Amino acid sequence: MTETRADATIDRIARLLSAGTLSSVLVVAAASLLSLAAGRAPFETAAPPVELGRMVSDLLALRPEGFLWLGLLLILALPSARVTLALAGYARAGDRYATAVAASVLAVLALSVAVALTLG
Amino acid sequence: MALTLLLAGGGAVAGAFGALLGLGGGILIVPFLTLVFGVSFREAVAVSLLAVITTSSAGAAVYLERRVADLRLGMTLELATAVGGLVGGLIAFALSERLLAAGFAMMLAYTSFTMLRAGRRDRTAAMTPPGVDTELSSTPSPRATLATGLGDAAVAGSSDATGVDRATGTGGEADDAETRRTADAPAGAGRGESYVVRRLPLGFSLSAFAGIVAALMGVGGGLVKVPVMHLVMGVPLRVATATSNLMIGVTASASAVFYLLRGAVDPYVAAPVVAGVFVGASAASRMSHRVPVPILRLLFVAVLMYVSIEMAARALGFSLLAVPRD
Repeated sequence: MTETRADATIDRIARLLSAGTLSSVLVVAAASLLSLAAGRAPFETAAPPVELGRMVSDLLALRPEGFLWLGLLLILALPSARVTLALAGYARAGDRYATAVAASVLAVLALSVAVALTLG
Repeated sequence: MALTLLLAGGGAVAGAFGALLGLGGGILIVPFLTLVFGVSFREAVAVSLLAVITTSSAGAAVYLERRVADLRLGMTLELATAVGGLVGGLIAFALSERLLAAGFAMMLAYTSFTMLRAGRRDRTAAMTPPGVDTELSSTPSPRATLATGLGDAAVAGSSDATGVDRATGTGGEADDAETRRTADAPAGAGRGESYVVRRLPLGFSLSAFAGIVAALMGVGGGLVKVPVMHLVMGVPLRVATATSNLMIGVTASASAVFYLLRGAVDPYVAAPVVAGVFVGASAASRMSHRVPVPILRLLFVAVLMYVSIEMAARALGFSLLAVPRD
C-alpha cells in the first residue's frame, strides 16, 4: 500500500470516528433529555426492548426510546463502520493481507451478531 | 431527573478520572453502577462496554490523525480480541455474578498495584536529567491527552499522559515472527521511528485473552494488550497504548451485542452514563495540565483498593457498603 493511499485511508477513518462519536453522543444526550421531559426515569421505567421495527416507529413518533436506541446502536456500529472503511481502503490499494484481515474482523463481528441473535 | 443527572455525573467523573490517569472509564463505571445503584454486574458491564466504545472511538480518531496508532497491527490483533470478545460474551452469561465480581476485584487490585508502580517510575523519571531515557516531550497538548486519556492503559507501567515513554522505539532482534514494519504503520510515532513487530503468534494468542477479559469485565483490556504489545511484541509504549485504544471498539462491540440482545442494556441507564463519560473525558483532557496528577493518582489508587475490597466482599456474599437500590 503506498504511503499516500494509506494516509488517505487513515484520514478517512479518523474523520469517521470523530464525526461518528460526536453525532452518536449528541443523539444519546438529546434522547436522555427527551426521556426526562417525557417523565421516564432510570430504574423506574421498564427498559424498552431493542427491536428495529419498534425503534423506527418510535423514531417516527418522536418517542425518546427510539432516539435512545438509535444513539446506542450508532455507538455499537461505529467500530464495524471503521473496519468496513479500512477494508475498502485496503482493497482499493490491492493490499491482500490487510484486506483479508479486515474482512476476517468483519466476519467475526457478524458471527457475534448471528450467535447473539440465535441465543437471545 | 435526579437519577439521570446522578448517572451522567458519575459517568463524567469516571470519564474525567480515566482521561487524567490514562485509564478507560470502564474500571470505574462497573463499580459505580453495581455498588451505588445496585445494578447487576452484567448490566453494569453492558453499559460500561458502550461507554468504552465511545471513548475509544473518540481517542482513536485523534491517535490516527496524529499517526500514533498502528492501524495494520491493530487490525491484525483485533481479529484475536474480537474472537476473545465473542467467547467472553458467550461465557459471560454462563458464569455466576459472584465469580465475575471476584475477577473484577482481582483486576482492580492489580490495576492499583501497577498504578502505584507507574507513579514511582514517573517520580524517578522526573529526577532524571533531561534527555536521558526519555523520548517524548513532557507537555502533551490537550488533544494528545484526550487521546491518551480516552485510551485505557497507563497501567502498562508508564504514564503516557506524562509524555514519558521508556521504549527504545526499535524492536531489537526479531525472534520467531513477523519482522516487517507495516507500510501504513505509525508514522507519527512514528514518522522517522521504526520498530519491528516480534512474536506475532504469541501476541495474537494473548490478545484473544485480552478480549475475553474485556468482555467479562466491561473494560478496554489495555491492562493486558499494552504490556503484550510493548513487552512481548517490541512495540514502543506510546504506539502500543494508541493501538490498544484503537482496538477497544471492535473488541467491545463483539461482546456488547450479546449483552444488548440478551436484554442486559437498559437504555435509560446507559444513555446518561455514556454521555457523561464522553463529556467528562473531553473536559478533563483540556484541564489535565492544571491537575496535580500524582495526587490524583494516589486518590484513585485508594478508591480502587477500597472498591476492590468491596467487590471481593460482594463476591463472598456480603457487603461493606450496603446501598441496595430498592
